Amino acid sequence: MSDNRPLRWFLYGYLALVFTFIFAPILFSVIFSFNSDRFPTIPLGSFTLKWYQTVWNDPDVWEAARTSLTVSLSTATIATLLGFATAYTDYRYSFRLKPVYLGLVLLPPTIPLIIMALAMLAWFAKLGISGQVMSIIIAHSVLTAPFAMAIIRLRLSQMDPSLESAAWNLGASQWSALRRVIVPFCLPAIISSFCLTAAVSFDEFAISWFVSGLNKTIPVIILEIVTGNIDPQVNAIGSFVFLVSMTLVIIAQVVLMTRRKKEV
Amino acid sequence: MVAPLVEFRSVVKRFDDFVAVERVNFTIEAGEFVAIMGPSGCGKTTTLRMLAGLEAPSEGEVLMEGRVMNDVPAHERDTPLVWQSLALFPFLNARENVEFGLQMRGVAAAERRRRALEWLDRMEIAEFAERDIASLSGGQKQRVALARSLVIEPRILLLDEPLSALDANLVIRMQSVLTKLQRELGITFVYVTHSQSEAFAMADRVVIMSRGHIAQIGSPKDIYRAPANRFVAEFVGRNNIITGTVGKATAKTVTIDGSLGSFTVDLGQHEKPRQGDTARFVVAADLAQISTAKPRRGNAIACSLISEEFIGSVVTLFLEAEDGSELKVQLQERELSKMDLKQAATIYLSWAADQAHYIGAD
Amino acid sequence: MSEATSTTAASSAARQSSVFKLTFRLPIIIWQSLFFIGPLCFMVAMSFFIVRNYRMQEDFVMKNWLKMLGRDYFWDSYVLTWGLAGIGTVVTMLVAFPAAYTLAFKASEAVRRWAIFMLIIPFFTSYLVRIFSWYVILAESGVINAGLSYLGLGPFVMLNTKFGTVVGYMTLTLPLVIILQTFALANIDRSLVEAAFNLGCRPFRTIYRVILPMARTGLIIAAVFCFILSFGDFVSPYYLGGSKPPTLPILIVDTVKSGQQWPRAAVVAVVMMVTLFVVAFAGIMAAYRRRVG
Repeated sequence: MSDNRPLRWFLYGYLALVFTFIFAPILFSVIFSFNSDRFPTIPLGSFTLKWYQTVWNDPDVWEAARTSLTVSLSTATIATLLGFATAYTDYRYSFRLKPVYLGLVLLPPTIPLIIMALAMLAWFAKLGISGQVMSIIIAHSVLTAPFAMAIIRLRLSQMDPSLESAAWNLGASQWSALRRVIVPFCLPAIISSFCLTAAVSFDEFAISWFVSGLNKTIPVIILEIVTGNIDPQVNAIGSFVFLVSMTLVIIAQVVLMTRRKKEV
Repeated sequence: MVAPLVEFRSVVKRFDDFVAVERVNFTIEAGEFVAIMGPSGCGKTTTLRMLAGLEAPSEGEVLMEGRVMNDVPAHERDTPLVWQSLALFPFLNARENVEFGLQMRGVAAAERRRRALEWLDRMEIAEFAERDIASLSGGQKQRVALARSLVIEPRILLLDEPLSALDANLVIRMQSVLTKLQRELGITFVYVTHSQSEAFAMADRVVIMSRGHIAQIGSPKDIYRAPANRFVAEFVGRNNIITGTVGKATAKTVTIDGSLGSFTVDLGQHEKPRQGDTARFVVAADLAQISTAKPRRGNAIACSLISEEFIGSVVTLFLEAEDGSELKVQLQERELSKMDLKQAATIYLSWAADQAHYIGAD
Repeated sequence: MSEATSTTAASSAARQSSVFKLTFRLPIIIWQSLFFIGPLCFMVAMSFFIVRNYRMQEDFVMKNWLKMLGRDYFWDSYVLTWGLAGIGTVVTMLVAFPAAYTLAFKASEAVRRWAIFMLIIPFFTSYLVRIFSWYVILAESGVINAGLSYLGLGPFVMLNTKFGTVVGYMTLTLPLVIILQTFALANIDRSLVEAAFNLGCRPFRTIYRVILPMARTGLIIAAVFCFILSFGDFVSPYYLGGSKPPTLPILIVDTVKSGQQWPRAAVVAVVMMVTLFVVAFAGIMAAYRRRVG
């Protein structure tokens, strides 16, 4: 592996190309949201904010934004609670049916969304709770709880196993040890998990589209606009959606990373 | 009659098929410094954890001051433990760590703070009270851990290899901190370690464990001078263990014949063994003597010198007997310098009859 | 007397402890049974229901199955979906490999960590908006064709083609596949790779004879995930692939959105699930099979 400098530069160039492919759609979406042409291409037209103005003045978008926010915050809360309980159970206890238990928790992301969407739609109709904001929240929690579980479980595996026993030893009951030791220790992971599950829920469209009824979320609005025709409004909404998701993802990562650095 | 502070009554602890502790009986009196010592996996930590209520005994009873503790949960016992990893809470600062136990006992904030600072001061780390745990040195963390355990004013303190992460100099300093503390407070310390030097340096009594059993309980001197069995003699080290078969035996002495020769050994408290049985005795390396001329007394082995090891002013000589077995002798460096071992073809290792310690067959 | 109190104390402590234990264990079991296992089982059952007068009635008939499996267009869709997802998986695995190889063997620890961080981001951003963006980029007068026209090339038709669909699939799968491949490769003992080079093994031979066999498990898992994601995606084949003929996910969407024929959609969904289960199982068997010869 000596005289392979050209190979090395070739590989780095290739890597740059792959990253360009991955980030091109995000980049173009943002650029085109400020572009005056109805059908955006190059060379670019003039700079404009009119797409944002159109979106800003659209009451349907505001309504959808409210629904999306409600859904993603509620989902994040439920998923993080469920994820925490599950991660703690996996960390603390061993029992005979644990593989089944973990399978039950971790399997949802491996089922295609469209299948989950159909199954949820039919099931909620059967239970008589279809077409409500609540149905989207429930479905999204099922989908995102595994992420919350994974993030918090990872954090627990970084914990000194004596820490919880030390709290008991100093007089803390199981509940107060949980509150005073496990939760504070997992706090960065809990914040991360909250942000990431909120981001996933905020972007999810297939299940939302099927079960939302009249309570449209932002991605459902996008889906409907896109199905109609080309409309740069989508770029404006899309850029806003990217901004929200990326902010959440970056907060999540930064919280986890700085905490780790501090402890090392 | 006053019940002992701690009593283990035929305590067994099983983990699935593995028996960690097997029918252990012992007592600890108030104010003692007891070390539980043994190689890793001997059950010493499990024993300590049962005392703290972190493991429940599978059989038998653990009593404190006569009360059966088996079903008392860990958080209702006043048995603070200093952990091997220290287990300080990384999200709290030094003072908050020390306050934790008081907070759990419902002590008011101001009082908590006062007592925590008092203890940090006593441990000579008052200036670090508001520091993050991660920013403290190993020795400072050690002191925070001690303060955190002692601030609740327990009658007994448990320590699980607390010094194993420190470097050698710091270990010596912490040993004197611990012995001084124990004497000042007058409470019981139960100290688990695999290190003989730590146990012997600090403890009033040492419990030696091997594979879930107690191999011997006694003062450091008892254990060193009169190991109860082969395991203890080997574990304590610096012992020459000589094996042979029982020849002539009286009520007080026995002759043991082996490949190294025939030796007469005091029986001590042991019963008279049967002729033809296997038997062992121990000659401590620091009680043996060497000479270049064949000594007059009977207990002598002809050897050749293999190597020397200097630790401070003490020299350990490793010798090889004619049958190939290795023997050790320890002496002061200035004694050694009087002898001219390099020239001597044969070195004689010898001991007085009452310096050999009979340990029977096992 | 003292013994009696100690037993009561013990049982109350044990009860408290089991309350604590169940507080953490039960919620997810109840939640997932009610809202994950429940819906999936109901969907399987629904594939045997019947629709009369635009209303679904609970029943047990084979009609939906016979109707769907007896139609040519269903099997056309099935083959198409397999084909697209298969091509997508092969292309994605091939495109990802040099990138993962670079990250695993050439890049420093810091670069690798940053790259992984960057690759996680798209996973949490709107897939839908990214696909719409591709739609604009790939269009006949879109960015790429406009750029190529300066060179006197094109225009190329990229929308409503299999190419378009695969680009869409890769938008979804490429970041994940690179991450999984990088982990698979980074776990290889590097001294073995270097030993192979030192023994005079040429680079491509080393990749084929040393690296691929050692990273097999991780690579197969990456491929299985890639296939599952592509197979179940309806957005790319719909918006970039032109949706004619429809893939299985599009069939589900159309069936549900155009009427009350949920049972037929359920048939499609069950067929998809069985297919994916078989693929995943075969993948796992291949990944963990002991090497022969």
